[in-house]
Amino acid sequence: MPETTPPQASLLSVRDLSVEFGDVSSPARVVDGVSFDLDHNRTLAIVGESGSGKSITSLAILGLLKHLGGRVAGGELLFQSEVLGRQVDLGNLSERELRKIRGNEIAMIFQEPMTSLNPVYTIGSQMGETLALHQDLSRSAARRKALEFLDLVRLPNAKRLLGNYPHQLSGGMRQRVMIAMALCCQPKILIADEPTTALDVTIQAQILHIIRDLQAQMQTSVIFISHDMGVVSEMADDVLVMKASKPIEAGAVKEVLGHPKAPYTQALLAAVPRIGSMTGTTMPKLFDIPGLEIAPEEVPAKPVDRSKPVLEIEDLTVRFDIRGGLLSRVTHRVHAAEKVSFNIYPGETLALVGESGSGKSTVGKTIQQLQEPVSGAMRFHGQDIFSLPAEDRKAFRKQTQYVFQDPYGSLNPRKPVGESLIEPAWVHGLVTSRAEAKEKVADLLVKVGLPAEHADRFPHQFSGGQRQRLCIARALACDPSLIIADEAVSALDVSVQAQVVNLLMKLQAEQGLSYLFITHDMAVVERISHRVAVMYLGQIVEIGTRQQIFENPQHPYTKRLLSAVPVLNPGVRPTRTPLEGEIPNAMRAVGDEPAPIEFVAVSDGHFVAAQA
Amino acid sequence: MPVFRFILQRVFQAVLVTLAVTLFVAFTVRLTGDPAVMLTAESSSVTEDDLVRIREALGLNQPFYAQYFDFIKSLVTFDLGNSFFRGSIRDLMAIALPSTLLLAVASMGISILISIPLGIHAALHKGGISDQIIRVLSLVGLSFPNFWLGIMFVLLLSIAFPILPASGFETWTALILPALTIGIILTATNVRLVRTQMLETLSQQYVMVARAKGLNERSVIYKHALRNAAIAIVTFLGLQFGNLIGGLVVVELVFNWPGMGTLSIEAIAQRDYPLLQATVSILAIMIVAVNLAVDLVYGLIDPRIRVA
Repeated sequence: MPETTPPQASLLSVRDLSVEFGDVSSPARVVDGVSFDLDHNRTLAIVGESGSGKSITSLAILGLLKHLGGRVAGGELLFQSEVLGRQVDLGNLSERELRKIRGNEIAMIFQEPMTSLNPVYTIGSQMGETLALHQDLSRSAARRKALEFLDLVRLPNAKRLLGNYPHQLSGGMRQRVMIAMALCCQPKILIADEPTTALDVTIQAQILHIIRDLQAQMQTSVIFISHDMGVVSEMADDVLVMKASKPIEAGAVKEVLGHPKAPYTQALLAAVPRIGSMTGTTMPKLFDIPGLEIAPEEVPAKPVDRSKPVLEIEDLTVRFDIRGGLLSRVTHRVHAAEKVSFNIYPGETLALVGESGSGKSTVGKTIQQLQEPVSGAMRFHGQDIFSLPAEDRKAFRKQTQYVFQDPYGSLNPRKPVGESLIEPAWVHGLVTSRAEAKEKVADLLVKVGLPAEHADRFPHQFSGGQRQRLCIARALACDPSLIIADEAVSALDVSVQAQVVNLLMKLQAEQGLSYLFITHDMAVVERISHRVAVMYLGQIVEIGTRQQIFENPQHPYTKRLLSAVPVLNPGVRPTRTPLEGEIPNAMRAVGDEPAPIEFVAVSDGHFVAAQA
Repeated sequence: MPVFRFILQRVFQAVLVTLAVTLFVAFTVRLTGDPAVMLTAESSSVTEDDLVRIREALGLNQPFYAQYFDFIKSLVTFDLGNSFFRGSIRDLMAIALPSTLLLAVASMGISILISIPLGIHAALHKGGISDQIIRVLSLVGLSFPNFWLGIMFVLLLSIAFPILPASGFETWTALILPALTIGIILTATNVRLVRTQMLETLSQQYVMVARAKGLNERSVIYKHALRNAAIAIVTFLGLQFGNLIGGLVVVELVFNWPGMGTLSIEAIAQRDYPLLQATVSILAIMIVAVNLAVDLVYGLIDPRIRVA
């Protein structure tokens, strides 16, 4: 082991790192031959899709693998430690010495801000713990330091925050606390593992801005782990692309993202939806992924016939009661949807976009009749649904089908997928015999691009993308005219996401399906939708064709949403001013109803909420 | 004042439950037959007049709501009247209640002392040899009937090797065998509970975050993981303690322990309805009180309950 420090050595130099899990006799290799150098004040992004080994690499650097049942099987992780006064190999350092480095010289922030903080301790105690561990500070000095760093991540009311518990904070605030906690010992390396993946896009822009800002102030080196090419392009100096535990391509961000050499990197970049890439076009467009099954010309873009809508929503209002007090009276209401109106036409995709708490999913669930509205009307092919008796309403349920975000949770793990697929058709009496069911299952599987003989397999034998295809197949089983896709591609890796989006468009062209595409991801929306409705705090603030919304946004919220999307433009740092503070929520005291929104026509079919 | 309101709410609920339970007890005890007839069942020369006088003396000729009101009054003032055969109920309770509580607390204490360290150890060495041994032993413990284990202890430690007294209440050593019997039976369940809860908490992200901060394993496990696991463990132990107070009957009989279980069994056997009504109600109130205490402790451990 080299104990002498060569001049000009990198801060962290990873050489041929291999990580294994499981039995020593038959190990699973999850990182295989990864090498990189991280210099002072640089940002290295490790990108790859799920299972590529990028997160495991970061845990190896901190020496935390053994808690997950893994071990460094080969290679070196050479780190210039100031605390220990020498260059060390993090892969075989004693636990006692590693603890001096963790949280002190190398700190980490994790993907899930909601679960990163211990729910039973205050923010102050959790920050104080780190400071007490690594810095010889008095109680009051530690408190001052904690306050200083909470201020640095721009958390308002830092003093009060110290006494707060994690559940009193939003996800974005918790992630800022995590950043403050990670940086409070002024580490030389900050590892950020998908720090913004679970956050809303405007909050993401805010967090990325804070990380960049503090890095510049504190000269910290950052290892940024992400699957999002836009984020990487905005954050990184250098990029390492990983796939299936192996390094694929490495270099400066401009080179790797601008002129990718490896075919995998090229395919990955082709699958990234880029906002603004569709400027000037009116119709949705397939992703052009080299080597994939659907060629764009196979799916002709048909103009939408706007004479008779499939679905008309008029003044739909949904509220949730919040009870409080000893007698549990209703004191507040969440105005999840407030006088929402829109139409969807045959063969059309309407995207309903907004951030968490905007009420977009509530609208979808109400249409699927999983949620009762307070008021409003819903007409399906001209027939008013809410005024029908319960029996007749059920019949309409088969005409609208729901595809959920989580393809893992929405298929019964104990049933062969064929059975799950055909279940709704049985329920609605669309198939009557086993032979008929079998034929239908085969047909459905082929439609979504899966082999018909996979009907006997169980959900765990499929990948995430395949499972989402299965969910789409199940939705198709009842020959619906409308499919509500609620964040249906959000949990998927980008290359898989592109394929599923292409599949949805292909099915639309073939069967004249209408989609209500509920999502927070503006870049995907630009690809798939004919029209877009932007929701904010339970109300639609702007609605229009895709082109109108993206090329001529009128409402400040629409503009903010669009500008917050990370842009894949390597080497160019974003100039947007991030949102200060939080996204407000739609909870209001009883009697305090929001003013009804007045719409102003911008152009034909483009309406925006009038601003006071 | 969310803390104050939380406590007030729980106390209010506990009072309601107590009222409902005592009402149910008073009502069902009266369904078992006419106490006057039961009281005189042994003697041969009872006239209808005697029965009327007895009913009058016991207040049984009054309407149910009046009787119930008297009963509640007697509970609140702890002036529980007289048993049919054994004098003041208060005096009987003064022995039975503390001895049951003593036994219950001692058994729980033993169980907690064994199951928490063992459960944590098993969770930390999941799949290892010690984990497997702990799991097998726990299964063995679960399959023992408690009276059988009690009898085995008596045979071994009081008869074969006369180290400890087999029964009675006179010396503190008499507590050891019954408490050990129940403690071991409880441990079989509790060790599994602690193990599962610890495994669950240890897989949480904040545990990894705590490690990434540079904390040593002891702080990670005892400060970060155990406190969270404790939320579920306390709830379960509270329910168990409530169960225990009412469910000590068999072990109390085996060791001739003068507790509430023994007292209520005797009351049933002798058809001593005032005593039965009092013991069952007091047991129910104890259980409600324990649950209230658990709720309050729960609020203490988990800020998500305490702070809105």
